[in-house]
Amino acid sequence: MDGFREGFAWAIFSAPLVSFALILLILRRYPRQAGYVANLAVLIGFVLSIWALSVEISRDGAAMPFHAHQWLHAGPLTIPFGVHLDGFTAVMLVVVTSVSLMVHFYSQAYMDGDEHYVQFFAYLSLFTASMTGLVLADNVLMLYIFWELVGICSYLLIGFWYHRPAAAAAAKKAFIVTRFGDMWFLAAVLLIWTKTGTFNIATIQEAAHAGMISTAVITLFALGVFAGAIGKSAQFPLHVWLPDAMEGPTPVSALIHAATMVAAGVYLVARLFPVFEASQGAMDVVAIVGAATAFIAATIGVVMTDIKRVLAYSTISQLGYMMLSLGVGGYVAAIFHLLNHAFFKALLFLGSGSVSHTSGTFDMRKMGGLRRAMPWTYATFVIGSLSLAGIFPFSGFWSKDEVLLGAWDRGGWVGYLAFSLGMLVVFLTAFYIFRAVFITFHGEYRGGEREAGHGAHGSGTPHESPWIMVGPLVLLAVPSVLSGFANINGGFGTLLNGALPPALREAHLGVNVGLAAFSVVVGLAGVGLAYLTYDLQVVSAEALGRTFRPAYVFLWNKWFMDELYEGILVRRVLYGGVCAGLAWFDRTAVDGAVNGAGATARFAGSMWRRVQNGQIQAYGFVLVGGAVIIAAIALLLNPVR
Amino acid sequence: MNHYEVLAPELVLLGLAFALVTLELLFPQLRKDLVAYLTAASAIGVLVASAFFANRSDSFKDLIQLDNYTTFFRILFLGTAALLAIASAHLVRDKLSNAGEYYGLLLLGVIGATYMAAASELLTAYIALELLNFTLYVLVSFDRKDPRSGEAGLKYILLSAFASALLLFGISFIFGVTGTTSYAGIRHALEAGIGEYRGTLVVGLVLLLTGLGFKVAAVPFHMWTPDAYEGAPLPVTAYISIVAKAAGFALFLRLFSQAFMPVISDWRWMVALLAALTMVFGNLIALQQVNIKRLLAYSSISQVGYMLIAIAALSHDSATALLLHLGGYAITNLAAFIAIIAFYNATGGEEIRDFRGLAERHAGLAMTLTIALFSLAGMPLFAGFMTKFILFQAAAQHGLLWLSAFGVVTSMISLYYYLMVIRQMYVLKPRDGDGRLRVPLLTSAVLVVLALGIFFVGIWPTPLFRAAASATRLLF
Repeated sequence: MDGFREGFAWAIFSAPLVSFALILLILRRYPRQAGYVANLAVLIGFVLSIWALSVEISRDGAAMPFHAHQWLHAGPLTIPFGVHLDGFTAVMLVVVTSVSLMVHFYSQAYMDGDEHYVQFFAYLSLFTASMTGLVLADNVLMLYIFWELVGICSYLLIGFWYHRPAAAAAAKKAFIVTRFGDMWFLAAVLLIWTKTGTFNIATIQEAAHAGMISTAVITLFALGVFAGAIGKSAQFPLHVWLPDAMEGPTPVSALIHAATMVAAGVYLVARLFPVFEASQGAMDVVAIVGAATAFIAATIGVVMTDIKRVLAYSTISQLGYMMLSLGVGGYVAAIFHLLNHAFFKALLFLGSGSVSHTSGTFDMRKMGGLRRAMPWTYATFVIGSLSLAGIFPFSGFWSKDEVLLGAWDRGGWVGYLAFSLGMLVVFLTAFYIFRAVFITFHGEYRGGEREAGHGAHGSGTPHESPWIMVGPLVLLAVPSVLSGFANINGGFGTLLNGALPPALREAHLGVNVGLAAFSVVVGLAGVGLAYLTYDLQVVSAEALGRTFRPAYVFLWNKWFMDELYEGILVRRVLYGGVCAGLAWFDRTAVDGAVNGAGATARFAGSMWRRVQNGQIQAYGFVLVGGAVIIAAIALLLNPVR
Repeated sequence: MNHYEVLAPELVLLGLAFALVTLELLFPQLRKDLVAYLTAASAIGVLVASAFFANRSDSFKDLIQLDNYTTFFRILFLGTAALLAIASAHLVRDKLSNAGEYYGLLLLGVIGATYMAAASELLTAYIALELLNFTLYVLVSFDRKDPRSGEAGLKYILLSAFASALLLFGISFIFGVTGTTSYAGIRHALEAGIGEYRGTLVVGLVLLLTGLGFKVAAVPFHMWTPDAYEGAPLPVTAYISIVAKAAGFALFLRLFSQAFMPVISDWRWMVALLAALTMVFGNLIALQQVNIKRLLAYSSISQVGYMLIAIAALSHDSATALLLHLGGYAITNLAAFIAIIAFYNATGGEEIRDFRGLAERHAGLAMTLTIALFSLAGMPLFAGFMTKFILFQAAAQHGLLWLSAFGVVTSMISLYYYLMVIRQMYVLKPRDGDGRLRVPLLTSAVLVVLALGIFFVGIWPTPLFRAAASATRLLF
């Protein structure tokens, strides 16, 4: 029986993998069929995920008794592989496969006519396989491998329109910045293996919980893992890649850069939650980074004029919310928010794609008045926005409320700081998303842009998108309204708690009516201000911008983070300083490519000249110098007796 | 019993090398690419024959060891030489003269490299090293029409001679302290204790490390590498970066595990220091390169840093990991270099910016090069991740977690410069007038096999790991 179940679990991962292989090997010349195969594979994964969820509901989220298999036995190092299925995994699987399914469906219209249509579906399949693999992995090494694979897929898909320099640069930036986090994750994996001799997540959790690993090691490990999560989930200070990643096709933004891959960091921290629980320091770092990210990104979201960038900063901000929640101990609330966010943010992204499909641009200043032409898109977009803004009874309300309650209950300066920043973010969120709604859908149509980024979709009069694009919007609007009720009696919490050791399980928090009412009022205030400013235009946005000019400039330049990294750290310090210094050393002692090329053109006899001009002597000098220095250290350390 | 059969594969190779030279002298009209295929065929023939030596243990007068370690490297070197001979076929025919000598020298170098792995006595090892060096001197300066080639060859000779002198000087110190040059003898002497000569021993070790560090291109003894890589004809660059490097490590590993294990505390930190320096310098300077050969030179320097970690953490696990990594490195670098050679044959370009738009000019070539570069950057599923991970793991296991962490962090930098090349190939459009490229069928087939090999080692490294483990078992 368990064998069957494990087989099904594997199938969730392998169906899209098979689709990837089929598309690459057989269907390269049959774009339509390639799209169908990819859709079918994700559908299989989705159905099996629903099955997994139902099984887990009946087991109260307890882990299935699957065994790890041996992949490689290398001396003392055994690399296992296996799947792990518990309540948490099942929830994640449903999130990943359902959003993926919607995106697959939608992309058939959105990418129609693209010259790399087949490749697009191949990459989507590979991504879905890697992402489900990441969720199913039962050990940290496998998790790391899938972690990198989703990174590669993200690289391929952001740079999908690779002839657009902005897209190519964004892909590279995303890849490098996230790898900067990943390397600490890999170092943490090495560390934990050295100290415990295992990669298995369950075993590591138990060891950490039982106090068998020293606090220093746990903290280092947790921080390393968190650094990986910072990169992948675009947390401050590595959040700079995500807004640029919006250069990718919009369905990709919805799937990878809103619902699933960027949530992988939250997943990772939540998966290793018992380890973090064992180190208060690591927890506090998570909470503070999360709160800071939520706040910083929300402030930037307020001034962006590109609808996808607004959503991107919103995603960063909401991911910060989830991290905040984990840091204050709100494990269930974080995952609950992850679930709700996946649906309403995917909805918002696909909605923005639908809008640009007709207007040919993502610049909100060129849209306006689209509610009449696109009633379905408008309605669903508003539902997503209400959910994001945390207005009762939409899904975002419920989870946001649990997050804030968790921070409040945590207390201490970390808890109250997180709570106050969180409350500020509620206001900012409601404001920026309704700002987007009003600018895009209300007022008069401002003409769009004929030169569409992804093909000649733009046309003179705005019109509703085809049903194949609207359908997913409607389907995603349903959970955006309803998914918040999943935890109303703690049922969702029970499912997730099954993944934790019994002592760490959380009691259901219930709803604090006062707090909930307060946060809704704050949210409505944000909506109201947006309404006054951008719909009624009682408050002039331009006047506000002029009055608070320094603040506006600061926010418009995204807190100058890109300038700090690219201008100062990378260009000045790394390139201008360290690398140039080293290269200068290698060039003066050594000659550069430049000299060599020049000599070629001049005369062949130059080789003797340059041998005599001291270069060889310099090489020899460095060589002997190195030897002498090592010998000197050696003799100082081991004085001859 | 003289056990001459231990020498048989190399004697056959020697004969074949001379036959190739003679063949060209006797039939100067012979098609030059035919000589390349003959070379590849002979190397593969000897490779298959020497596979029969697997699991045999023997020695020639305690100078040359025949064991799985020797066989592992013999197969590695012969395989590499065979593939490089095939890859040289068009380049040598079109751009170089004296094809017979060229291919003969390729095989002669393999003899030196194999004996570096097989030697169990210092002077034998030294002579083997010099044999390899001499073939390289000639090969590096083989392109008479390109002054960079001659210049590189000259620099290489002068510096290499200097490093060899230091190495020899170090050997004399070791001999002075222990009274023997055989690895086993040195070990016995060190185990028995050397008392007041400890300082002398340390100086000897430093000199040995300098000489070997030069050979494998460890920082700060690396300075010849970029010039030699850039000046040498491309297949020779590949030959240096794979055969010469692996041979250096083969000697290094056998010498230090069989002879100097008892005094590991005296030299471990030196190697660790070199490893750290090499990783940092190699990766950072690579960021600034504009020529693909120099880029690969610095990239290979940084790879040396990772390999040195295995020597610093010397144990059966780390030695196995080193051999595994060398295997994966050879496959990856072969794929990269053969793709670059094919590109060079078709276009004559070797600057990174010459690769612009390659994806449109030849998709397969761009894909193979991308796979190889991703593998070098250590992305999962590619060979480079798996072998490096096992290597870092082995070092962490043996108390060098900090050095492994260093390796992880510096290898992250490498992704950046590999992406520079990938960017040129995929992002930028080809220049006007750059048409599609033609790649010979055999080269394409070789590239496909190598690309599959990269994934094979990256996903299922067990067979290679077993071979490596059985090769290193006798060392400890």
